[in-house]
Amino acid sequence: MTPIQEHYRAKRVYDAKPANGGWELRLADRTVELGSREYDWYQKVTSWLPSVRGIADLSRELGMDEAKVPRFMETLAKSGLLYKADDAPSSMTGLEFHARFSSVLGSWLSEAFSHPFWERMMAGKGSARLFTGWLIELYHYTKNANRHMPLSCAHAHEKPIKQLRAKHYAEEWNHYHYFMKSLKALGFTEPDIAASVPLPMTLALSNFMRQAAREDVLAYSICSAVLEGTTTDRTTYNPYYEKSAELYGIPRDAVTPIYQHLDLDVQYQHSDLFQDILKHVPTMSAERASKVLDYGHQLVEHIWLWTDNIEKYYQVESNPMPRHPFDAAVD
Amino acid sequence: MSTAVSTALPSSAKSRTRVDDLPLLRRGATVARQNGHVVIRHLRDEVILDGAAAQLFGKLEAQLDGKTAIDAIAAKLAEKPARLRALVEQLGKAGVLAFLSSKDDGALMTGVEFYQVHREHCLYWLQDVYRHPLWEKMTTGTASRAQVIGFAFEKYHYIEAAFEHMGIAAANASPEMMPHLARHFIEEYTHGDIYRKGLRSLFPDDVILRSQPLPSTRALVNYLSESAQTGSLSYYAGNELLQMTENTGDDQAGKAVDDFYSAMRKHYPYTDKLIDSFIAHTKADQKLGHADAFLLMCESVPPLTRREVNEALNVAKNMAEHLLLFMDGIDTFYDHFATVPRLPCDPLSE
Repeated sequence: MTPIQEHYRAKRVYDAKPANGGWELRLADRTVELGSREYDWYQKVTSWLPSVRGIADLSRELGMDEAKVPRFMETLAKSGLLYKADDAPSSMTGLEFHARFSSVLGSWLSEAFSHPFWERMMAGKGSARLFTGWLIELYHYTKNANRHMPLSCAHAHEKPIKQLRAKHYAEEWNHYHYFMKSLKALGFTEPDIAASVPLPMTLALSNFMRQAAREDVLAYSICSAVLEGTTTDRTTYNPYYEKSAELYGIPRDAVTPIYQHLDLDVQYQHSDLFQDILKHVPTMSAERASKVLDYGHQLVEHIWLWTDNIEKYYQVESNPMPRHPFDAAVD
Repeated sequence: MSTAVSTALPSSAKSRTRVDDLPLLRRGATVARQNGHVVIRHLRDEVILDGAAAQLFGKLEAQLDGKTAIDAIAAKLAEKPARLRALVEQLGKAGVLAFLSSKDDGALMTGVEFYQVHREHCLYWLQDVYRHPLWEKMTTGTASRAQVIGFAFEKYHYIEAAFEHMGIAAANASPEMMPHLARHFIEEYTHGDIYRKGLRSLFPDDVILRSQPLPSTRALVNYLSESAQTGSLSYYAGNELLQMTENTGDDQAGKAVDDFYSAMRKHYPYTDKLIDSFIAHTKADQKLGHADAFLLMCESVPPLTRREVNEALNVAKNMAEHLLLFMDGIDTFYDHFATVPRLPCDPLSE
């Protein structure tokens, strides 16, 4: 690795789209516009940075004199597209970390819900089956909270954080009943749903939460905060349910329990829990802050792939709904 | 496997079913009708009925719900019980029908019998993995650079995760499985380095070590780790399904793998060293004789209850679904988010 490669890193770009004859790149805190040629250079730089290729290679690819490459890097850093690894603080307080998290949460959620499934559903190109499949998986995800929430209490070390995590569990553990009510309104029986098994990516989501719970209570809590971030107020979730009910003939009785569940989350102020936990963290090393952030972003990516898995499975009419466990005697 | 049941139904064959057996058309079996024939398919089995057998099945089909005894069905349909019994026994033998019992007889299955049942099901469950479109994209050169390099990274992460799931499995092993799982861990834990060597032709070591797997790869590893904590045999039943994709000992499978690597080298010349590492890993696995490991394990376990059999087969089936997810993640995620290698967050990266 050359010193430049060790020095610079690429900032996360949440969206890149053509605009005004060039490209518009959306970062968490700004939008950067690049001409087509500069965008091409930028892409070459970001794929070169984590590679074993030397600076001569990059200079050749860019058609730029080697001596000018560092200046170009500096320009990209000034625009916000690159950053210097050494500029990161060596430590921060829990509340400083929360401020950083809050500043990127909106971008993370837009990434998590950028899957084409949502546009398809809202545009009337989905189906009641897809809506129902999503609900079945939400039922499993919510029931599986019992696999990870108590684990996060077991692995927490500080008493005040243990308390907060336990209180959250006590408030949430049986919320899967809301989804059961919805599914019953859609014609399913309780034993049929209770005996069913989740899709692999639904299971993966709770297994990832279990991994986070064992790793670090803050890693777990950021994942929980990302999920709670989707339910801060009714305006974020109502349009999807309202539109689906209208487009796909979903009975009101199937939607009401979902609203009741979401309203309860708002009432409990679960979206503030992460901040309450971080108040009890006087300092975080850069390494811990990086790890915790990374868990949060991995959760975002899990949500995207979860949506993908749900769409791919339930759009096939012949796939069983709900899914039953394998039984050698009958399968 | 295809079986034909013809017009002449034996009416007095010696019966193997019992009076209280409850015939059930296996879940997932499909029934199609063509020109007077009835075609029943289940897993890799297929039965073709014609003539009287096809007609009798037509009357019988709705009763094959696992709740009604053969004699009761015969009375309901006004058919001779022996004739009915002859058909359902043939369908049972062909694998499309199961016989539930009104009593739980607590029958046990030996480890070797389980090995055969497991193998038969896994070969079927793996079909979707082998049919995944990503294979064709890579062999025809239509996969993107991110998908191809991503494939190598995800393979690396999966193999490197032997430290996680094989370590957990060995530490939680049942007494009979402990020597097998210990041996497996010890033989496998260095294999991630074989892939890392290939990746080092393109990326610095530090970048490879810090890189993050896709959520779908993490899902596969976490599922292995979770099952490793709950049961030794069921964990390995799942692991064996994954191992079956690496055991390319027979000529036909070996040629398919060779063709895949040749096509990749042709379309993606920069993967030359990566493919060397893939081949080195396959050879390392073959040299260790992992193809026989599961049979040895099954030979060493005590007879299994129906519940143990189902637990292990559920893990194997879930593993097949996770493996499909692993392939799908590479195909779909790297198509939408083309950044590779995937570096972890730090306080300034977002």
